[in-house]
Parts: sequence; structure tokens; C-alpha cells
Amino acid sequence: MATETLQTLLARRQPGHTLEAPFYTGAAIFEQDLDIIFGRHWIYVAVEPDVPEPGDCITVDIGRHAIIVARDDDNLLHAYHNVCRHRGARLMQAEKSNLGNIVCPYHQWTYGLDGTLLYAAHMPADFDTSCHGLRKIHLKSMAGLIFVCLAETPPDDFDAMSAALTPYIAPHDIANCRVAHTEDIVEHGNWKLTMENNRECYHCSAAHPELTKSIFAEGFGFAPVGAEAVAQADRFHDMVSALHGQLEKIGVPSREIDHLDDLVTGYRTERLPLEDAGESETLDTRVACTKLLGRIADKRLGALSLWTQPNSWHHFMSDHIVSFAVFPLSPETTLLRTKWLVHKDAVEGRDYDLHNLTAVWHATNRQDSDLVGKAGAGVRGTGYRPGPYSPDTESLVEKFCSWYLARMAAGLAA
Amino acid sequence: MTNDTLAEFSLTFTVSGRTVACAPDRFVLDAALAAGLKLPFTCRRGICGTCKSRLLSGTYDMKHLGGIRPREIESGLFLPCCSKPLSDLVIEK
Repeated sequence: MATETLQTLLARRQPGHTLEAPFYTGAAIFEQDLDIIFGRHWIYVAVEPDVPEPGDCITVDIGRHAIIVARDDDNLLHAYHNVCRHRGARLMQAEKSNLGNIVCPYHQWTYGLDGTLLYAAHMPADFDTSCHGLRKIHLKSMAGLIFVCLAETPPDDFDAMSAALTPYIAPHDIANCRVAHTEDIVEHGNWKLTMENNRECYHCSAAHPELTKSIFAEGFGFAPVGAEAVAQADRFHDMVSALHGQLEKIGVPSREIDHLDDLVTGYRTERLPLEDAGESETLDTRVACTKLLGRIADKRLGALSLWTQPNSWHHFMSDHIVSFAVFPLSPETTLLRTKWLVHKDAVEGRDYDLHNLTAVWHATNRQDSDLVGKAGAGVRGTGYRPGPYSPDTESLVEKFCSWYLARMAAGLAA
Repeated sequence: MTNDTLAEFSLTFTVSGRTVACAPDRFVLDAALAAGLKLPFTCRRGICGTCKSRLLSGTYDMKHLGGIRPREIESGLFLPCCSKPLSDLVIEK
């Protein structure tokens, strides 16, 4: 088993089934995931409100790739490797800083916020600083969601995704948000188990009592079979149609777009109705923040669900945004980073209560993390065999897997 | 008033316990190094920020090249390598 190549495993994958164990536990495939998936695709890393002002810098680790995202004095965003061009020391250790120039703590090589080497002491007269700037990484912001691509030549379909999704995101005005809270969780499972868990709501009714107060499980790839389930789904689809009709009339795009497995830069979005008061993903389904985002006037905007392959999902509501990024740490551990965004002028204690704002997803993350850990523990044993996905409720998990497998195959062929 | 009659200012370094004289047209770092203090520095041009220090009292004229942020200056930090004294200074070094 251990010696089987990725090629063999890709070729014999049974469609509609979970992947074979080496995809979830193997060190070799993990390295290939970092190289092919995380090294050659657009990876979601941060939101613009993480670096709101000139001089703001953050560090992000994508597997073994350590990067810096910085905003320069002209308000332009840059990404580069977090590695000094002198002796290779990690330049920035802090997760967040505000800097004039980036100074290596080892021998004080000094770089501008655009990555150019400005100063290096004790180097010979013919030393060419212009050849020793920080190694740049492609960066694009999609309406305030920051993506990077480590490859020299990134996939060329990002702008098409951005053109399709920006009108959906724009009403929530990410640029004028503030990160109210960030939460990092280490999940004990391969990053693909974290993603697969996110791509279905089969587990929601049993696992997520807090989340299901506001969301409908039917909104996430539900194609029911059986009279009762069909009737329930019909009611849901009527609500979806009503919401879409009403919102699209006022210029808030809402209809589903699904390119999860037919593009290099895969994505999906749809604005979904919420239960009861229908305002937000909170315990009482009402807004958590009384200061609404952007120029939104109606609290009942539902929740815009937006996913990008391979590593993100987001929920945009009238009053706040919850944004999730997934970073592989090791074959069997994964970092889930969650950010809650509110209007930049919203004041904690006056406009929102932080506990109320974060309660649903704080609980849901813990429940999901527990499930990912259980899946991770199961696939590790010799008793594990790939199991079938439900065509009713797990078609979008299958799309995640088919996207992943196609990208791995393309990567091997490149 | 000619240059050589300009009054010198005193620079007091609270950590090392030293006080040194500094002409108004001289950089604070240069005066301190000439007097034998061992302060951290690299570029001597206000780029790298290695000499960044906290000023406890006094005023100065700084011409830096990006080695310090406006908010750091507001919080009381300055770069001795590219700052000339405008009064007696007390520096936490």
C-alpha cells in the first residue's frame, strides 16, 4: 500500500466514494498536495481588513511555505516569501505588525514594503541589491478576499471567478469591515477531511444544534429522494425562489453559481434563506450587530454561502461575515482559521456583543473539529475502506473530491 | 551666532547611566558613539530601524527613510541615527 504511486491511486478511485487511506494519512501524498494543490492554485489567505493601513503586515503559513502579506504606503497589497535573501532567516515572526520597512532580525537586511532590498550592510561594492529583493508571490483581492498563488504562472481563470462573484460580495463591503475576532483550531485530520466535512450538511441536524437554528440543511447540495423529503425540499425551494426574486430586484445577486469541479479555480455561491427571523446565523436568528454592513438597509438578506477550492468557505449576512480558511499542517493535522467581520465603525458592547456574534460558529467549529478528528482516527486504521457518498446530500463532497483528483492528475501530467 | 558658538545639548541615557554632549547639527547616534556608548545601529540613514529608541523627554529633528512608522513616533520612539537634538534629550538606552 505504502509504495503505491499517486498515479495508481488516482486511476482506481471509485467515483462517489471517499478516498483511499493514503490520501488522508500518507506523507508522500501530503507533500504532493502541498506541491500541486497548495503550490499551484489560488489559495485564500486573509481579508483586506487584516491589513487595513499602510505598513500593515501579516504572516501566513501555507504548509511549509511561509509568506508575508503587506500593504505599502501607496495602499497596494503585496505578498512575498517570509525568507531573508541573505542567510534565509524567517523575516517576520509576529502574526501581525505595522512596519516602515521589513528588517531581518539576523543581520538587518532591510526591505521596503514592496519587497525591494533597500539596504544591506557590509556587502561588497559590486553587490546588486536589485537581484536580492524578497521573492514575490502572486496576490489578488476578490472584493476584499485575499488570495495568493505560489506558482510562477498561476491559473488564469481567477479574474473570471472574481467578475462572477464580486457583485455577490460587494453589498457586504469587506473593505469597510473590521476583524472583530479570529479563532484558530487545529483539527486532527487531513485537510481534505476538513473540506469534505464542510461540503455537506448531512451531519448538521445531529451535530449542529446551534447552527441549525438559523440555517436549512437543504441549502448545501440537498437533492432529496422520498415523498417527505421532497415535500420538505419543495418548501425550502419556494423560500429560496422568493428570496432570490425579492433580492435580485433590488440589485443583490443571489442565484446559485456552481463551478466546483469544472474550472481550475473552482467555486460555488448562493444566497440562502435563514429560519425564523431570517436575519443572521445567530442563536436567535436576529442580527448580532445593529450596524449593518455597507449600504445594506434590510436585515433579512439571508446568508450568502461562498466556497472556493481548495481551502475556503464564507457566510455573508446583513450584519456580519464569517470567513474560514483551511491550511494543512501535517498529513493528519489541519489549521482552521475563522474570522468574524463587522462594520468598521461598529463598537463592541454598543453595536454588538462579541459572545453573541461568535457563539454559533464557535460551537459549530468545535463540533466539526470533533467530527474531523473522528474521521481522521477512523481512516488511520487497517479497517478503513472507502465508503459511498449519499447522492441526496453529499453531491458537493463528491465535487470537492473530483476537483481535487482532476487537479492532482493534471499536476502529475504537467 | 556662528556654528562653533552654538550651545551643545546634553543627551542622557537612562539605562547606561551616561550623559554626553551633542552639538545641534550632530546626529544623536554619532555623538553617543563618539563618547564611547555601545548602541545598536546598522544603516545610519533611517532605513533599517535598528537604533530605534524611546525618548523620555526633549525635542528633536528627524529625517528618516522609512525605518519608523508615524504611529511609532507618536508612541515616543525615534531613530537616533538620523535625529538632531533641538533640546536636551533623555533617552531610554
